[in-house]
Amino acid sequence: MSRRPRVAPAPSGVNRRIILSFLVSAAGAIGFAVTYGLGGHTQWEGACLAVAFVGLATGLAIWGRRLVPVGGYVEEHEGFVPPPDEQALTAAALSAPDSPIRRRGLLAALGLALTALGVAALFPLRSLLPWDRARPLRARRDTPWGPGVRLLTAGGQPLRPGDVPAGALVGVFPEGGTDAGDAPAFAVRLQPERFTRPPSAGHLDGLVVYSLLCTHAGCPVRLYLKGTGRVLCPCHQSSFNLFADAAPVAGPAARRLPGLPVAVDADGYLRATGDFTAPPGAGFWSRP
Amino acid sequence: MIMDRLARAFDDRLRLSPLTRRALAKVFPDHWSFMLGEIALYSFVALVLTGVYLTLFFDPSSADRVYQGSYAPLDGTATSAAYASTVRLSWDVRAGLLIRQTHHWAALIFVAAILVHLVRIFFTGAFRKPRETNWLVGVTMLMLALANGFTGYSLPDDLLSGLGLRIIVSVVESIPLVGSWLVFLGLGGEFPSDEMIPRMFVSHVLLVPAVLVALVSVHLAMIVRQKHAQFPGPGRTEHNVVGSRLYPSYSLRSLALFAWVLAVLFALGGLVQINPVWLYGPSAPGQATSPAQPDWYVAWGDGALRLFPPWEIHIAGHLVPAPFFPGVVLGGVTFLALYAWPFLERWCTGDRRAHQLLDRPRDHPVRMGVGVMALTFFGVLVVAAGDDIIARLLRVPVYDVLYVLRVLVLVLPVLAGALAFLLARALCRSDAARLGELTRADLRAAGQGADRRAGGRRVRAGEARAVDEPELPTPDRPGQRIELWPDGGVWRWRYRDEPAGVTLLNNRAMLTEREAVDSARLAYPGVDHVAVPGPPPPAPPGRVRIALRRWGNAALGVSLLVAALRQRRQRHPDGDGPRPE
Amino acid sequence: MPTRGDRWSHVTRAVTVGMVVALAAGPAALAAPAPNAPPGSNAPSGPAAPPETAAPSAGPSALAGATQGRELYRQNCASCHGDQGRGSQRGPSLVGVGAASVDFQVGTGRMPIPDEMQQPRRGRPVFSADEIAALVEHVTSFGGGGPGIPRVTEGSLGTGRELFAANCAPCHGGTGAGAALTNGWNAPPLYEATPVQVAEAIRVGPGLMPVFPSQVLTDQQVSDLATYVQRLRSERLDRGGNPLGRLGPLAEGVAAWVVALGLLVAAARWLGRRAGE
Repeated sequence: MSRRPRVAPAPSGVNRRIILSFLVSAAGAIGFAVTYGLGGHTQWEGACLAVAFVGLATGLAIWGRRLVPVGGYVEEHEGFVPPPDEQALTAAALSAPDSPIRRRGLLAALGLALTALGVAALFPLRSLLPWDRARPLRARRDTPWGPGVRLLTAGGQPLRPGDVPAGALVGVFPEGGTDAGDAPAFAVRLQPERFTRPPSAGHLDGLVVYSLLCTHAGCPVRLYLKGTGRVLCPCHQSSFNLFADAAPVAGPAARRLPGLPVAVDADGYLRATGDFTAPPGAGFWSRP
Repeated sequence: MIMDRLARAFDDRLRLSPLTRRALAKVFPDHWSFMLGEIALYSFVALVLTGVYLTLFFDPSSADRVYQGSYAPLDGTATSAAYASTVRLSWDVRAGLLIRQTHHWAALIFVAAILVHLVRIFFTGAFRKPRETNWLVGVTMLMLALANGFTGYSLPDDLLSGLGLRIIVSVVESIPLVGSWLVFLGLGGEFPSDEMIPRMFVSHVLLVPAVLVALVSVHLAMIVRQKHAQFPGPGRTEHNVVGSRLYPSYSLRSLALFAWVLAVLFALGGLVQINPVWLYGPSAPGQATSPAQPDWYVAWGDGALRLFPPWEIHIAGHLVPAPFFPGVVLGGVTFLALYAWPFLERWCTGDRRAHQLLDRPRDHPVRMGVGVMALTFFGVLVVAAGDDIIARLLRVPVYDVLYVLRVLVLVLPVLAGALAFLLARALCRSDAARLGELTRADLRAAGQGADRRAGGRRVRAGEARAVDEPELPTPDRPGQRIELWPDGGVWRWRYRDEPAGVTLLNNRAMLTEREAVDSARLAYPGVDHVAVPGPPPPAPPGRVRIALRRWGNAALGVSLLVAALRQRRQRHPDGDGPRPE
Repeated sequence: MPTRGDRWSHVTRAVTVGMVVALAAGPAALAAPAPNAPPGSNAPSGPAAPPETAAPSAGPSALAGATQGRELYRQNCASCHGDQGRGSQRGPSLVGVGAASVDFQVGTGRMPIPDEMQQPRRGRPVFSADEIAALVEHVTSFGGGGPGIPRVTEGSLGTGRELFAANCAPCHGGTGAGAALTNGWNAPPLYEATPVQVAEAIRVGPGLMPVFPSQVLTDQQVSDLATYVQRLRSERLDRGGNPLGRLGPLAEGVAAWVVALGLLVAAARWLGRRAGE
């Protein structure tokens, strides 16, 4: 483009530094390949690649800053307000007598057709929730718990009242629905005389079962603070007082944990006598 | 030679050379803050490259899979295929962990760079006409980046991300009327569903990246079409761009930045562990880990969830749960405000002109105040997301931290915003160049309202005159002129401002004198034109030349000094007074 | 000001190099073990060799041990827990706490504490192994039963990991780094605990920690857990480099902002600044 002489011949130091940088880069790349070939090691691989790219960056940077002129150029700016006659010409081209946009009636009909197509295209989205599955309201209200469902431990063993000693928190799951997201519950044994408010789902000699899901955002309230009778949510630090029917005492949760009514069956195992006292987990619009 | 012929072949068929010539000569302003967006761009490139590699090993499925590999605690454990393949990728695929970690770091840097870029655009007013559209595109990309970051964080199906997903599901579910339906349609059923991971995967690797690539292209195309805005300075007007040409200077430096971004990402990816999913274990209902935090870019939402008081309302017997306000409303308001800001500001200031010259942040104290207020607010929210970590590190009760933060989140932004507003106004009214040069009197003057122009803008007379420059051609300014000259078969021009010592060369050669004159008129309306025949003038003094001259002068001075000293020493070898000759 | 610019870029470069070196320092320590340990060798041998407190030696003579225990108790414990371990205003009763509890509290240096505090912290044990054994013997002589010092055998890593995720991760974190509870209580990090101490804590439930008696976790399961916790502290699990305290995404975010974005913006400043500006 230009036959003008550019910058003065580079000082040899600059050339040397650039070449050195690229050599370092090549060394890094080779180092990476060798590390990989020798069995791989995350730290060495990362360090080698970093060295390779640092070398590349340094070389290019010195080149761009020292061997070519930086700055000193100006480019004109046409502005973005087109001349009025240019605008008028474009507008005229668009609204010529035979232009489609002048046939209002046809356009309205076309608009109707396109709208109908657009709305119709939304219908298949409903398939995202397969038709044979429960609707949200129903699915959110119902859990696998129900009358007669046995309580299992995380290991899949049925639970007896004696398996829940004082001071322990035992995670329990419904038989036949251990993977359900809304089912996890926990059992603890408290001293009944310390109840300030009786558990809404009742208790078996101090043994109470509550939903494990925080009523704020649904995280498992697995942090049990023995002695204080409180459980804590790891996500947003809501805590619930089990002595007061799992009422929220601090943090952003506003509702109590739903309780699970339980009884002991003839074989001595714990069984639910119904579903949770309220839909478990976070709140939603149609929650009763 | 082959390249030469190939280029010629393409040019003969597509006539690319005029376009290429313009493109190579495009002028980029030489200010570091214009490279922040490039950091984001290059992190995105790194994300795509590493991400493609990861898809070759990741199995996006919730189906049961027994992990068998070198991570002993999980060896033989049945987990979801997604989790098993992630652990496999981390422990049994050579270089897999490096790429996985680099990908995750690149995601953190990507969003951080977008944010920093957005802050620069905001405080310098680069979103004003004609660039509002590009602001909208940028904000959309930020939103998509957040969404894609979150799905990427959730894909490994580990315990920590499982909690995060559960929280997001709860937030969406809190939307009145449609919340549950949105969740059930999105997940194909109740959380946790089997469709969850495949659907997030499609969105993470296909849908959102495709939209992002399209938007990045639009973003860049619009920059090329509209050209860069620039800071005011000598020779810079509303009608030109001053800086370096794309080729060779800027492309070299930009490539250097690309390499540097990759260097930092790979250094982190290899040396600093991120998201060790093998330690967290697979996601399972009823299991939890603590402390539980999301990645930093969604932490503001998590912090808001923590700080918002336990308020739930009922509308006609229907529940509006607590997460609705900090989750949905805050997020919605945040992005609405971002989208609306250019139009809001135009409405408030009544400034409908196009701007190619940027504000300095101080030039607009109201914008400064609002921006600092918003940043402080979100900063406190991010800190709040770590309230349990703070409580543990400081050994104070977590609820004390919570109450302090609940107050701070309301008080601190107002204080910071007011302070920023006052400082900006003081800077703008006084002659101080930097914050440290402000005097007490300046501050006092800033505190007393009064001389505010419409929209809170006050431009100092001397420096930023160009901002308020009328669109009409300015009368001839002394000392400024345009010089045109023939250079072989083409024409060039340059702008000279003798008093300011500025010489700016036109970025490309013109075919005719007419063309050169037109181009110069556009760039400097009203400046006198002089045709200079004869030898081409010297190239604009570059950095090298100045450095050489200074070093040369310094070296000369030093050598003279050394010579003089040596002479003195030779004259007085033992230094005990002048010796008679 | 090219000279100033040059100096500045030297400073930038020096800072950069310093940061990279600092970054490298953490993992460099990790780089020492074999890159890919064969899967078979990963089973730790830690719990197989129980530490000194596991098997309280009988000492020179039982009588001497008893005297030593009584004397140590009188000097260090009685002022708060009472002469007969009945407790006082300043400390809880020790009747029925069991040998495991005493061994845990004293063996982890949590007891004796000079002042009342809500949650004693782990520290260097004040007493030797023999002294601790004597003290344990003396306190158990107050009666009341309570869990004895568990015997820890080699356990299964896989089962241990599952049990850990189900029972321990909620409070101590999946990484074992610990977490904050309410009212200033903390679940401490597990990295310094010996297998026996882990087992004792499981059985005893010190402080706010729930207890896991044999109805909840069998002896074998406790051994599995202790095995996994031993493994958890191993640096080999930080395969990805410096673990940043295993504090999770926010610590990673801080690193991304401070280190990475700092380096990148510094580079942009170096590359983008106009000569003479």
